[in-house]
Amino acid sequence: MIGLLPWAWLCTLPGLLLTALGRGQRPGLASLPGPLAIGLAGVAFLLGDHQPVLHRTAEWLPLVPDGAFSLRLDGLAAVMLCVVGFVSLCVYVYSLSYMRADPGQRRFFCLLDFFVAAMTLLVLAGNIAVLLAGWAGVGLASFLLIAFWRDREGTLGAGLQALAANAIGDAALLLACVLVPAGQGDLTTLAQIGPALLPGGFGPLAWLIVIAASAKSAQGLLYFWLPSAMAGPTPVSALIHAATMVAAGVYLLVRTAAVLALAPEVLHAVAWIGVVTAAFSALASLSQPNYKRGLAYSTCSQLGYMFAAVGFGAPFAALFHLLTHASFKALLFLCAGAVIHAAHGEEQLAKLGGLRRQLPQVMWLALIGSLALVGLPVLTAGAFSKDLILEAALHHDPALGWLLIGSVFLTGLYAGRLFFGVFGAGSSVPHREVHPPDALLLLPLWPLAAGAILLGWVGTPLAALLGTPQVVPVVSNLGLLASGLGIAGFVAAGLWQRARAGAARLPQFGVPWLGPVTGIGRSLASGFAGLHSGRLGLYVFTAVIGTAAILLFAVARAP
Amino acid sequence: MFATFACTPEALVLLTSALLFALGAAGLLLRRNPMAMLMSIELMLNAGNLVLVLAARANNFVGAQAGALIVLVLGAAEAVIGLALALALFRRRSLTDADEPQEVSG
Repeated sequence: MIGLLPWAWLCTLPGLLLTALGRGQRPGLASLPGPLAIGLAGVAFLLGDHQPVLHRTAEWLPLVPDGAFSLRLDGLAAVMLCVVGFVSLCVYVYSLSYMRADPGQRRFFCLLDFFVAAMTLLVLAGNIAVLLAGWAGVGLASFLLIAFWRDREGTLGAGLQALAANAIGDAALLLACVLVPAGQGDLTTLAQIGPALLPGGFGPLAWLIVIAASAKSAQGLLYFWLPSAMAGPTPVSALIHAATMVAAGVYLLVRTAAVLALAPEVLHAVAWIGVVTAAFSALASLSQPNYKRGLAYSTCSQLGYMFAAVGFGAPFAALFHLLTHASFKALLFLCAGAVIHAAHGEEQLAKLGGLRRQLPQVMWLALIGSLALVGLPVLTAGAFSKDLILEAALHHDPALGWLLIGSVFLTGLYAGRLFFGVFGAGSSVPHREVHPPDALLLLPLWPLAAGAILLGWVGTPLAALLGTPQVVPVVSNLGLLASGLGIAGFVAAGLWQRARAGAARLPQFGVPWLGPVTGIGRSLASGFAGLHSGRLGLYVFTAVIGTAAILLFAVARAP
Repeated sequence: MFATFACTPEALVLLTSALLFALGAAGLLLRRNPMAMLMSIELMLNAGNLVLVLAARANNFVGAQAGALIVLVLGAAEAVIGLALALALFRRRSLTDADEPQEVSG
């Protein structure tokens, strides 16, 4: 029975078929069992004896590296299954209410089902070839869902940016797939390949993995697509662009941490990429006029913390932060969705504000999410995982570590700016009548809030489960310092908000030298989106040349 | 040496398949008519099938024949969707260039 668990990725496909065929009065209801089953598969494994379950068909295509279909369910994959199942179940329930009036809701749920299937396949992949299938699938689903409202201005451009950035990651992963000798693409034993079999040692392979992960997790120069991706519906932003898909890059790095450890210079680069992205995205979030874009930069920043943790040789800290972040960031995005829903689709911070009275429940939930993001010690989950990362950072590289601790202050500042900007008293803009969210919309926020508060306590058992036993401290001096900085930033943003209560505009925290940086991102974004010309001949030509080159490479290195 | 190689039946089938595939690829690259492009894709699929069936015979491996059948089904499915799309577009205009519909662009 337990041997069937790796096939959990098929669970959402019945729902997809039923919805696509137009069955059911209410689109989306048929999809609910899928994510529930996926989450339960993860739980069932964790309750069992933790023996990895492996599925492997015969080598079908010996020429293509590792041309077997291989699935693996182990502790790491089971934890990810729980995250994917839990968050997507919450988002499905939320979407039942959020997308109720949308004429395309059937298509929406079909695409969401497809995304969850691809994401689960990615998590359960046993070798690089299957990982690549899931990897490309989530990228495609991301594009289709960003461009879901096709007739709105800019959605398709945003989707194309995501598609183009993902293409870089896919290409890197495809090359990694070819680089690995035939039959040895198992993700857990990549580090045991004889160095003589890899051209150039482990360096090139590690670089390719890091490039793929950066594209998926919006790190370094490849960050540009994530803020644009906020053009999609808010449930999509919460599920794909905050909790699960963007975390896939971190998941890949954690999975292949042993390979990265064999290429120290790449590991060092990952730490730098993570820290720089964490700091810059936090700054960039401060100058965003759009609520969701502010949250998107926050996601970039938090993913930077996870990257840094992998770079500092603490993959467990990265995974733990991934787990807590999935809960509190999905909560924040769903709260943002409730606010936007209540304000009739308004996303500009300058026009939101003073919603404390109209949406008290959402305010408390958003406060829990914001405090978990800032890292209120003991009470919220974010503090546990962030402290673990900071601890590893200071231990490994004090200079980068202090930079990361400094970014915690910025985290508090932008979290406070977004929270008080929306719920604080300081709005001078007369508000149209707010239409209150219904119970179904608010229901899924509570389990996520519970996760944002309680998930910190699973750290120690989780570490033991994954074979890296360590005690996750409840409070530490370093943690208290970082939390103090974060809370200080949060309160400072609130006070600023109050001081400027009469002003018509929100604080923008304009940072002059940030302009060129975001300028680079913007030009990259438009350049990459422009690559998608819609010319069929060009696509075919690229596909033919690319396939030929990769086949030639594979033939050349076949023994 | 090439002459003796080319005379074995396997080599003949392989050469035919390579030729078919090259024709299909060239057609897909050079033609603009969606119908012609679909036919070129079919040509490439069948070239691949030829090699699969050949390998099944040469290596006594039945799995490859199953693979060829899967490719056939795939080709049929692809043709159905491709033709449906082409026809849907054709109803609105005389479609001779696959790059012509550009209404949905970012």
